[in-house]
Parts: sequence; structure tokens; C-alpha cells
Amino acid sequence: MPKILYILFFIASAVNAQTKMDSSEAAKLKAKVKAHAGSLETLLSDFVQYKHLDFLSNDIVTTGKLAFKSPNTVKWEYTKPFKHTVLFKNETLFINDEGKKSNVDIGSNEMFKQLNTLIINSIKGDMFNENDFDISYFNNETNSEVYFSVKHEKILKYIKVFHIIFNKEGHVIELKMIEPSEDYTRIIFSNRSINIPLSDAIFTQ
Amino acid sequence: MRYLLSSFCLLFIACGSYSKKHDFQIVKSLNSHIRNSYFSDETKDYVYKANITVYDNDFSGIFIVKKIDEANYRIVFTTEIGNKVFDFSFINDTFKVNNILEDMNKALLINILKKDFSALVKEKLPVIKSYSLQDTLVYETVILNKKHFYFKTQQLNKIIRVANGKEKVVFLFSEIKDTIAHQINVRHSNIKLNINLKLIN
Repeated sequence: MPKILYILFFIASAVNAQTKMDSSEAAKLKAKVKAHAGSLETLLSDFVQYKHLDFLSNDIVTTGKLAFKSPNTVKWEYTKPFKHTVLFKNETLFINDEGKKSNVDIGSNEMFKQLNTLIINSIKGDMFNENDFDISYFNNETNSEVYFSVKHEKILKYIKVFHIIFNKEGHVIELKMIEPSEDYTRIIFSNRSINIPLSDAIFTQ
Repeated sequence: MRYLLSSFCLLFIACGSYSKKHDFQIVKSLNSHIRNSYFSDETKDYVYKANITVYDNDFSGIFIVKKIDEANYRIVFTTEIGNKVFDFSFINDTFKVNNILEDMNKALLINILKKDFSALVKEKLPVIKSYSLQDTLVYETVILNKKHFYFKTQQLNKIIRVANGKEKVVFLFSEIKDTIAHQINVRHSNIKLNINLKLIN
């Protein structure tokens, strides 16, 4: 067999490692994720973020902690290699950059509001809205992967598709946001604690 | 006509005066070119935490410089979470906007950034005149038709853009280790724009 066929065969097998779900599997996953998202009161997790820019030799790696409190308070805290916190709370974006504090009122900014909702929904994994996304479901070894292709024109300028990987329990373990240029941000979550009491002090700037 | 002539005279006096005003002593140039090697290694990703202040508004994010090829640079600024704010290419003397946030897509702002970043990354510049100032060598050159002075003690530690005999923009390079500037500050004198860069990898 010519070499090229071996290569094509290999690529085909590699692609096959991730198979498309049938509609009943997809419905089951969706129900599981929605049930989990609905009962999610608090979430605490570590994360590692990889910023991939095609022209760079290495991805830019940042690490930190994520805290979420229902219904819509989220804190992204970067701890390495710099200290930077973004807190979404009461329609305000509170920023603490290495001790320098500032805030942005997002109540009047439709784009920010949409992005905030997207971020919260993607943490929960609950983005199953056919009006906003074209959705495709895949089995990925023991996990599930769902592609949410953005329909909204304004958001499409910045992110064209979200890839979310769910573990067996329907929890988000990885989130990848792919830009129209194919550059992407990939966030891997670990050490997750669900529905443990989180004091209000965590959600301060 | 008389006004025009006096304006020309004033302009002439003003233009020539920066080096004199600051007591630069002309020296015979030993080098035909001055080098800025802070972004010269194609194998390196130059990644900085950036703080930008524009008219009392603070922005922070990640500032990335990559030398793609000879006289070919990519400069990208993203938020901490990774959204691109702007993405520029500098290839020889051409400049291209690959991407910019809608709110920032203003010709005036893009032109300022183009001038600043050209000076920041330009690696090899022809020396027009050389001066000495105490223990510092000062090289005069031109970037995008603007007069620039490069200040070099042991290493390049300052670039100044001058117009009408006055400082317009000052670039400071500090904490230099292995030809990498760990701290960079770009400060404008006539507009409230200040860029602070701190190396993170």
C-alpha cells in the first residue's frame, strides 16, 4: 500500500477515536448535564489555561482558581505567573490587577451581558440552546465532547465555537474557545468541589 | 508670506535643538547601525503582562511579541482570559491589522500604536549622527519619518522620539538579562498614554 494510504488510514482511525453520538445518547447526555447544572449551587475548581496562538513556539500557560455561586456570581482568579482577579457580580465586573482595583458596569452593555451568561453557562456546561448554537455531540473515550458553534453574529467575531468535554458524571472538565482565526483558549479544570458552602468573602474584590 | 517664513525659521530652530538643548556632544560614529536586540530571537516567545493607561482608564492583559522572520514581527495584545484586543503584523516597512476589537478600531489610535510598536521592535537602524552624553552614547536615527534618539550605556536603555525639538515618546528598557528587557515602559508626553510591560516568560 502506498505511504499516503497508510497516513490516510491512520488519520481516519485517529478521527474515529471520537465518534458521533446517536440522538438517544445525545439526549441522555443533555439531560444529565442539565440536571447537574440545575442543582449546582456552588463550585470551586483549579484551572490551567493554555492560550494557543499559531505563531508562538509554546502556548501561554496561566493557572488559577475558579469560584461560582448560583445564580450568576463568578470569580476567575489567576495566581500564576501573575495575580489577577475578575469577579462578575450584580451586573458589575470587578477587577483586581496585582492589587490595583477597578470596576466596569456591564448592566448597560448587551455584549458583556451575553459574554457573562456564556461564561456561566459554559462552566455549568448548560449551553444547549439551539437558537444560539449549532450543536454536535461526540463520544470521546470515556468522556463526552460537545461542540457549540456560535450563531450570534457579534459573538462570532470573537469566538466561533466552544468545545466542552464532560466526564461521566456530566461535569465540565475542559473548555476550549476557538476564534475565527483558529487560535484558541483551552481551560482544563481539576480538584473540583461541588455544592460546598462558600463564604461571601470569596466573592469580594 | 512673512508669517510663513518666520514659521519656517522657528521650525528650523526648534527641530535642530534637541541635541543641543541636552548638551549632546557630537562624536565620530563608529557604527553605521544601531541595534535593538530585545526582540531579535526567532526561537523565543516574548510574553509580557501589560498595564496600559489611556486618559485615566486602566487596561491590563498579555502583550506578546514574536519575531517570525527577518524584519517580520507579530504583536498581539489579549485579555487575561485570552480574547484578542489587537493583533498587528510588521513586515519590513509595511503594517497590517490582523484583528482589533471594534471599540478600538480607530485610525488615530491605530496610528499611535503603529508608531510606538515600530520603534519598540525595529532591530537594525541606520545611524544619522552619533553623540556622547557623559557615559552614554546617543545615536540619532529616523523611524517612519520621525526623529529618534537611542541611548546606550552598556546596553540600550532608552529610546526617545522627538518632534519640534521636544520629547514626544520615551521608551525605557530595564532589568536586562540575556538580551531580554524584563521591564519596558512606553510613556507619551503629549497624550495621556502609558504602557508598562513586565516579562512573564
